[in-house]
Amino acid sequence: MFGVLRSEQRALRRRRAVRRLFCHHRADRTPAGRARRLLQQWLTPAQWKQFSSRGYFDVTGSDSGRRYRIFTGSAMNVCLLDERGRTRRGICFVPVGDLPAGDVMLAQKLALELCEDSALMVAREFIPRALG
Amino acid sequence: MAVQIVMDRTGDSRYPFDPASAAEVADAERRFRQLTGRGFTAAARVAPGRVEIIRSFDPRVEECVFFPRLVGG
Repeated sequence: MFGVLRSEQRALRRRRAVRRLFCHHRADRTPAGRARRLLQQWLTPAQWKQFSSRGYFDVTGSDSGRRYRIFTGSAMNVCLLDERGRTRRGICFVPVGDLPAGDVMLAQKLALELCEDSALMVAREFIPRALG
Repeated sequence: MAVQIVMDRTGDSRYPFDPASAAEVADAERRFRQLTGRGFTAAARVAPGRVEIIRSFDPRVEECVFFPRLVGG
């Protein structure tokens, strides 16, 4: 009896693994899926964990040391944080081209972490009410 | 194998090259110059959790991502 149970559990695990594999494969064939995979590869483990659980991740500006929060999205999705981690003002800058959201977020992360001043020079401010 | 990853509307395009092959390195360098000339920024992971801007082509960089010029939204 226990042998039958174990065999069913193995079959169930196998079916789930195959389903995950197919989902993963399908996702990798879409622009959004590919961009999300690239984002995952380039975020730090802490940033990916934060993004997976909360839908945003924080970065530190390369020039000022200030903290920014990048929300899921492809425009008006970056906020400057205050010392207590509250969103102060929104800044909007995006890479040119019709890129999927994952690519936009990765470009924003790299820009803030590597060339913050250049990013801020082109950015426009907005009131981050909708992002909370 | 090293790889150049270029963000585009398909998510990304990947261009692998063999750093030991002079012809492939020349192609990769030409691509680097073309992309940075069009306003792309090249970033490479130089250590775990550490990323740097790459201003000149270096065939020893294993993985380099190119993102387009930024504009205000």
